[in-house]
Amino acid sequence: MKSFTSAIAIAASIYGAQALAWEATEGRPYEGQTVSVLAVKSSQFEAHEARLAEFEEATGIDVVYDYVPFPNMKEALTTEMVAGGDYDVVSVMDQWVVSLQQLMAPIGPGIEAQGTDLSDFPAAHMRHGMLDGELIGLPVRGHVQLLFYRTDLLEAAGVTPPKTWEEMVTAAKAIQDSSDAAGIALPYGKLNGQNLMVWMNLLWGNGGDLFDADGNAAFNSAAGVAATETYVGYLAEEIVPAGSAVFIEQDAVTSFKQGNSAMLPVWWWVRSQLTDPKQSTLTEDQVGFTALPSVAGADRTTFTNTWIFGVTEQSDSKDAATEFLGWLTDPALERDVLMDPDLTEVVAVHMSNLTDAEVNERWGGMHQAAADALATADGVEFGDNWPRIVLILETAISSLASGEETDVQAALDKAAEDIAAIR
Amino acid sequence: MQDRLLSYWLLVPAFIIVLATTIYPLAYSFITSFRAWDLTESRSPQGFVGFDNYFYAASESAFLNSLWVTFIFVIASVTLTVVLAMALALLLRRKGPMHTFTRIILILPFAMSPALIGVSYRFMFNPEFGVLAKGLGAMFPSLQGVPWLADPDLAMGILVLTDVWHWTPYMTFMCLGGLASVPKETQEAARIDGASNLRIIFGIILPQMRGVILVMAVLKTIFALKMFDQVVTLTGGGPGTSTETLAYFIFNVGFRWFDMGYASALAWILTAIMMFISIWYVRMLLSDRKIATA
Repeated sequence: MKSFTSAIAIAASIYGAQALAWEATEGRPYEGQTVSVLAVKSSQFEAHEARLAEFEEATGIDVVYDYVPFPNMKEALTTEMVAGGDYDVVSVMDQWVVSLQQLMAPIGPGIEAQGTDLSDFPAAHMRHGMLDGELIGLPVRGHVQLLFYRTDLLEAAGVTPPKTWEEMVTAAKAIQDSSDAAGIALPYGKLNGQNLMVWMNLLWGNGGDLFDADGNAAFNSAAGVAATETYVGYLAEEIVPAGSAVFIEQDAVTSFKQGNSAMLPVWWWVRSQLTDPKQSTLTEDQVGFTALPSVAGADRTTFTNTWIFGVTEQSDSKDAATEFLGWLTDPALERDVLMDPDLTEVVAVHMSNLTDAEVNERWGGMHQAAADALATADGVEFGDNWPRIVLILETAISSLASGEETDVQAALDKAAEDIAAIR
Repeated sequence: MQDRLLSYWLLVPAFIIVLATTIYPLAYSFITSFRAWDLTESRSPQGFVGFDNYFYAASESAFLNSLWVTFIFVIASVTLTVVLAMALALLLRRKGPMHTFTRIILILPFAMSPALIGVSYRFMFNPEFGVLAKGLGAMFPSLQGVPWLADPDLAMGILVLTDVWHWTPYMTFMCLGGLASVPKETQEAARIDGASNLRIIFGIILPQMRGVILVMAVLKTIFALKMFDQVVTLTGGGPGTSTETLAYFIFNVGFRWFDMGYASALAWILTAIMMFISIWYVRMLLSDRKIATA
């Protein structure tokens, strides 16, 4: 489950080359063609769209972006897969890639021809662009988890940023004793598996995993029960805000931004929201970050999230679309967005940018922290039943959090049974 | 003859639209319900599997749970909406500037999108900053910090509340229309004979409103059976599966599990339930009319 796939290494060696800046294909062979892009709503992708003139001028290809909000994105992609033909390039989240495989076309030869350096992508992100040994997409947006914290509240409570989950509980209680804020904001509600993201780290930290080598459920093991009891136990310890049992990720983020919580384990991209005066009460010097805590004695872990861009099977302009992908995944474009003083975009998926000194100087070392986390993060193998598995698991966590279920072992066993019964 | 032919031709566009937007999708989904169709494997329907999808539904706990949740929701939502609508209509039937003003603002909840209602109530019941959660906590200290949507029973209660809030105005207007058709002379005669207001309502008005109330109930039942938007935006079917209605479950099966054959079968089970209820109501209405004309 957590091992690197050899396919990625093979692909990297096949397609690998020196990290070169993107260059348009000579002779503008796709001039006059239009590439339609279906992307999830994101300021990062809007920043790419704002820089399209360079690509369009170099290639003669017109690019048109359509955006869909995240909650509706999977339905939009499903419709495109079934009814199809409207888009040439689509953005797909890692967890959906296998179940949406009918949508994506192989792009290996086209990307190889452009000299894209696949080895510059962290393996945890890159693995989601591979399907059965074939390259079907390239990472453009990728996240690791970090622990954001209120520097002022931790200082007032006399605690340092926690390195382990056990330290986190102690810190949270100390903060609650010295302020009105809840210790930590966590999501327990149901939405696209958001209540599993921190829980998975506890599962790994306790030595457990979702499935064993034969693909059977392993999350209901003693390690899984311990991880779940710890995660749900934070509610009983009252170190999370009231109502957390139905918090989705955005509720937890809002609680932190409104000053109601002191710590927030979440995707790093959220950083740009946390001190945005239009949506947050916090200032730059109030927000700090550190790596996600680990279980005492265990290695640090992070769940990763990756958005790949791929060319659709039904596209009439596959070559032009592949040329666009080459431009879109150019590290120079990503760096340009990261360093744009008018933007607060932190997301990067190229190791060359994650370890770039200037990038790290601008963002306080956040990218190096992400690179460190990615070095040991393998990502999860998502099968075609993953969306259903997520629904079953997030329902189990939600039931335990709300008190609808009280027996952790029984709830996890029931989830394991439901997963085994999937047709 | 020519006029008759012309009338048929004039119906053709409407017929084509209904065929394309209603009959064809219904027929397609009906056929699909007897086929396997895993979207992760194929973009088009796969082989025929007979009644397998229907048999699978009968044995699946998630489906049976959604059926039970829907039953609870329908009973609570329909009963409360009809009773409240009738009560409001009786209050608003008199004429006067305040009554007219109230009638106008009463329609506002019905004008709101159900998805938006779900989002609004989710915010309003947030224990940290929700206006309703804070307001209730201020009025009743024991309710301070109650995680309203985190409790399975309270979450169902709030889901019902949002639906009743949304539909009661429309149903009130239906009742007002019905009340206008109840002869005033009968009520005046009863009043002269010394009947109390309650006696007039239960003895004269409600029996004569039976037809309108039945229509309201059938309409509300059908809409309640299809409850989806608020579930998505208010509770996400949770906590656990406590508010996972049948329509939401069908959506999950189709668009998250990608099992289109099974989702089609479930959709037809829902359709069959709605058709059964509609036919039952219509039969009751018809029997009412026979009694009235006998």
